[in-house]
Amino acid sequence: MNQVASGLVTSQWNIATLGLLAASDGAINWHTLFFFIFALTACGFALAVLVSSHVVRMAFFLIVSLSAASGVMFTSGAHFVGTMQLLIYVGGTVVLLIFGVMLTAQEAFITLKTKAGDWVLGILVGGTLLALLVQVAFLDPTWHSTDYQQRLAAQHEAVTEELRQELLAGRDRSELSPETLQKLADLESEIASGFPENVGRIGLALVGVRADTTDESVGLAGYLLPFEIVSVHLVVVLVGAAYLARAKRRRTDLIE
Amino acid sequence: MGFLSEPVGLSHYLAVGAFMFVMGAVCMATKRNTLGILMGVELILNGANINFLAFASPYFREDNLGLDGHMLALFVIVLAAAEAAVALAIALNFYNNHATIDVDRASELRG
Amino acid sequence: MGALEPYLPILLGWAVLLPLASFFIILLFGNKLGSHGIGGSYVATGAIIGSGLLSLLSAGIWFANHTTPEPHHAHDDHAQHAADHHDDDHHAEEEHADEEHATEGHAGEEGHDDHAAHDDHHAPAPPPALTGTWYTLGTFYDADISVNYYIDSLTILMFCMVTFIATCIHFYASGYMHDELHDITDHEVTMADGKDLKRPGRYHRFFQALSLFCFSMLGLVVAGNIAMTFIFWELVGICSYFLIGFYVERKSASTAANKAFIVNRVGDFGMLIGLMILWAGLGTFNFGDIDRSGDGELAATERGLFSQVRPEENGFALQVPDGLVLLGAQDRVENLAITSDPPLSGDALRAEVAAMIPQWREGTAEGDPTRYGSILLIVAGVGIFCGCVGKSAQFPLHVWLPDAMEGPTPVSALVHSATMVAAGVFLVARFFPVFAPEVLLIIACSGCITLFIGASIAIVATDIKRVLAYSTVSQLGYMMLSLGVGGWAGGVMHLVTHAFFKSLLFMCSGSVIHAVHTNDMGQMGGLRHKMPYTAYTMLVGCLAIAGIGIPSVFGFPLGLSGYYSKDAILEQVFSFRNENPMWGSIFFAFAAGGAAMTAFYMFRMWYLTFAGEPRNQKKYDHAHESPKVMYVPLVILAAMAVVVAWPAWDWVGMPSLSRVIEQARPAGIWQDMVGGTWAVTMPEESKGHVDAVKTPVGLIAIATALGGILLASVFYLWRKLDPAETRASFAPIYNFLVHKWYFDELYHTIFVRPTHVIAWCASTFDKQVIDRFLDWLAYAAKAVAGVVDRWFDQTSVDGAVNWFAASMYGLGRNIRVVQTGSARQYVMFILVGMVGLFLIVSFWTYAVAG
Repeated sequence: MNQVASGLVTSQWNIATLGLLAASDGAINWHTLFFFIFALTACGFALAVLVSSHVVRMAFFLIVSLSAASGVMFTSGAHFVGTMQLLIYVGGTVVLLIFGVMLTAQEAFITLKTKAGDWVLGILVGGTLLALLVQVAFLDPTWHSTDYQQRLAAQHEAVTEELRQELLAGRDRSELSPETLQKLADLESEIASGFPENVGRIGLALVGVRADTTDESVGLAGYLLPFEIVSVHLVVVLVGAAYLARAKRRRTDLIE
Repeated sequence: MGFLSEPVGLSHYLAVGAFMFVMGAVCMATKRNTLGILMGVELILNGANINFLAFASPYFREDNLGLDGHMLALFVIVLAAAEAAVALAIALNFYNNHATIDVDRASELRG
Repeated sequence: MGALEPYLPILLGWAVLLPLASFFIILLFGNKLGSHGIGGSYVATGAIIGSGLLSLLSAGIWFANHTTPEPHHAHDDHAQHAADHHDDDHHAEEEHADEEHATEGHAGEEGHDDHAAHDDHHAPAPPPALTGTWYTLGTFYDADISVNYYIDSLTILMFCMVTFIATCIHFYASGYMHDELHDITDHEVTMADGKDLKRPGRYHRFFQALSLFCFSMLGLVVAGNIAMTFIFWELVGICSYFLIGFYVERKSASTAANKAFIVNRVGDFGMLIGLMILWAGLGTFNFGDIDRSGDGELAATERGLFSQVRPEENGFALQVPDGLVLLGAQDRVENLAITSDPPLSGDALRAEVAAMIPQWREGTAEGDPTRYGSILLIVAGVGIFCGCVGKSAQFPLHVWLPDAMEGPTPVSALVHSATMVAAGVFLVARFFPVFAPEVLLIIACSGCITLFIGASIAIVATDIKRVLAYSTVSQLGYMMLSLGVGGWAGGVMHLVTHAFFKSLLFMCSGSVIHAVHTNDMGQMGGLRHKMPYTAYTMLVGCLAIAGIGIPSVFGFPLGLSGYYSKDAILEQVFSFRNENPMWGSIFFAFAAGGAAMTAFYMFRMWYLTFAGEPRNQKKYDHAHESPKVMYVPLVILAAMAVVVAWPAWDWVGMPSLSRVIEQARPAGIWQDMVGGTWAVTMPEESKGHVDAVKTPVGLIAIATALGGILLASVFYLWRKLDPAETRASFAPIYNFLVHKWYFDELYHTIFVRPTHVIAWCASTFDKQVIDRFLDWLAYAAKAVAGVVDRWFDQTSVDGAVNWFAASMYGLGRNIRVVQTGSARQYVMFILVGMVGLFLIVSFWTYAVAG
């Protein structure tokens, strides 16, 4: 019994560490903290990309901004997508961009100044759009905050309490109901690492099986076909890009 | 630092997405460098992706997009990679043909 | 080989379609085929050679499967009656037929051939024929309109003949039309500015038309129903029109083309009437029976024309078909339905009518001696024959053929002597079972008149091609005469032999014209020194057409091809004379006289052209032998003109011409035909093959031929008599003949002039009354329109349209400014648009929708 109780306490500690469960009033919510760190980094460096006129710096800022965006994705529970963001974007796309920068980086083009008029216009329109979007984002009061952590904590508390009652009733651990234990294990795994099973589900969905829902209306609406299409698409793009970028004689007659 | 003890909601994520989106859009509208425009496109796609993931996250809403949102985000990433490859090829071609990467020098589309 | 027989329709179908393909290739790509379209001749020649090979292959398959019967043996007892006369001489043939039937009974799968009577020897089997459908165009209850084929040995024979001659002529034409490869200056056409016409060569166009013609002719030959025949009939007509009018800039050529076309339409009008009667009465156009249901049995609706007119039950004798009887006796049927008391039910009435049909047919019905339907059958036959009259240039529609010589000579050789004009004869032969004896008599009369008119005009013609043209008219008359007096095999044989030697003669004349650049025999003479190949092949042709050979009375009948066919015709006419003394005497006199005239004018032509002294030294010096591509076909055709009818082919295992033709002899033609309305008897053909007929006829034939040649030699070779003197002493007759019996003038007076008068009246009425009224209407409408135009159209309608156009133009100009070509600016537009959309949607959502 003591072992069981201590195990429960251990999980309690983990929850507190990760900040996924509600902390007591005034204490720092780690989840919020990490979100803000990543969000501010992403936004700040995006802004830096915009204002910088040096193309090499822009590329660097973009890397940072996108990496931070992947952090934001992690905090929303999308671990797999966040990983992909890091791998593909930061590891692939941006490197590609940097190649482009290096290939075209002649002195004259490193810094191309934008005209002031364009800046004014861009800021005006962009600011309007931003204002509108942010306003819409905060339009719905229920979107401001979430009680997810409280709900999760309450569920965990209830299950733990149930177990504790059973243990107090003098039962042996082997007599505890397996359903309850399973439920507790699921909850703890969710608390500990978000939704790790999503990776498996994404994999299944890509081969046409939906494991995340039992909703009949969804049917077998997996992502096999889009997956195939996108695969072919990638091949075509690969060939097309190779064709477009192949070496050829420079057409000097078009130079003004 | 009171806001740090409050849990964040969907709105915050949407705001981040919106900000990145607008940064990308303005970047596209103002950069004269072809590659700068490409970077703007990447930012726009990321902003959109954050929106998808926010709506897909089970942390904020009971009726979330779930797996569909993740899948869409994945496809967006893949397509962004493809787009980057092609756009880069175009940019290099452009550079070959015009000996510059200043998009303002390309005005063949003028009516 | 028997297994190959089902492929015959396919082979022959390809043989028909190859020239069509060539036509389309040249039509579409003609000017791209080699320089100046020289490739057109290769394509066309290749196609016709292909067709020829397919035809030969088909012939091989056919004759491997169907043994050819012996031609009719001579009767010893000439006095036998028609009723029992088949006994002895048909045994052999019947046995043949039965054997054939046993061995190849399964041969035609989709079609069906002969349902031979097995019972007794009164009804030998009809000729083996392969009938069937390539493609059904439409089905109307029991009747259908299809693309059918009817393949018997006549079809095969015609295929081989047409493709062979056409091949020779294609080669020949590729040399003859050589001038057309370059730009041509036509000295016979003067432009308004007094210069000669200059035009580009039309070499490939010529071969294009030749290919279309070959397609049409082969289609006509293989056609399995009379409607299809009619379609191909018109197709050869239009090809003839194109080819006669090949030198379209020459007024004479375009007029001749029009004349040929219009005269043929007169004949086709009659043919259409015949078709309508057949369709209305019999509900089918098919020649042979076609087992459409595929059950091996012939339903009543599947019987073709031949078996309806000559049903097996009647021993293949001619009888008016039930359908025509009913068509003729329509009012009797109505009467039956009205007067019956109590009213009959449908089935009972039908039974009653069916019972009455034999009585109506024979005119034995109570108080009603009319033989219903027989007049319809006669009119139908005459109608079909009208078409043949037009196409085969028989009197009275023969006037177009000589004028058709305006076309290039290869055309004259192919179209206007060997094949197309023979199509009329072919159709009479093909349709022979349907012709009543009365119709045959009309055919014989027409043929007899034609042969005499043609021969008489040919005697005085000075244009070398016109001599041959009238000769063609005359020979076609021979064929018609032969068919008309019941000499089916003789007529068909003459059709084949004539095709060979007449195409040869025409090509020789073309070779001469090619050399001396004139058609006028008055300017030729002595040319045999310059062009020996042409001269001696033409001599062979002349001998063949004159029918030179050793008469059978000397025990060893051997001669050129014309000898066999012409003797067969004369024998049949002689045998006809035995049955019908009055008609027969006239016919025989004309036929024998015509033979003499034929020999005379042919040798007159040959002497004037090749013998004697040159009458125009300049042209003589300029003359030269034609190129090899032209004289080699001449030699080949000359060889064919000699050997094609030899019975000796039997000895080397090939079916001889007479056997081939004998095999296709239609059912029921082995008995005498007795006219119902007029007292005339068409004797069956074997009666002409007895010594009692052969001996005198053979002697008369050779005597007339040699006499004609002798007379020609006296006039034109030895110059013992002066032709000019003779002309002067017979001036009225000479003028009459030179003016071609005044047929053109006659037709001009009785048809063209009245038509012009009527047209003038109509046009005057048109101009004075209708036009004035219309003019007034137009003025009134114009006045009203002017008013409306001013106050409504120009202000409101035009204003609105103009305003709209102007505003669109302005809008376009304004929007054009936006298209700066700057990518960044476009992005900006997108952003602004997005913001705008956002604002609109927000406004809608929160302000309007609440």
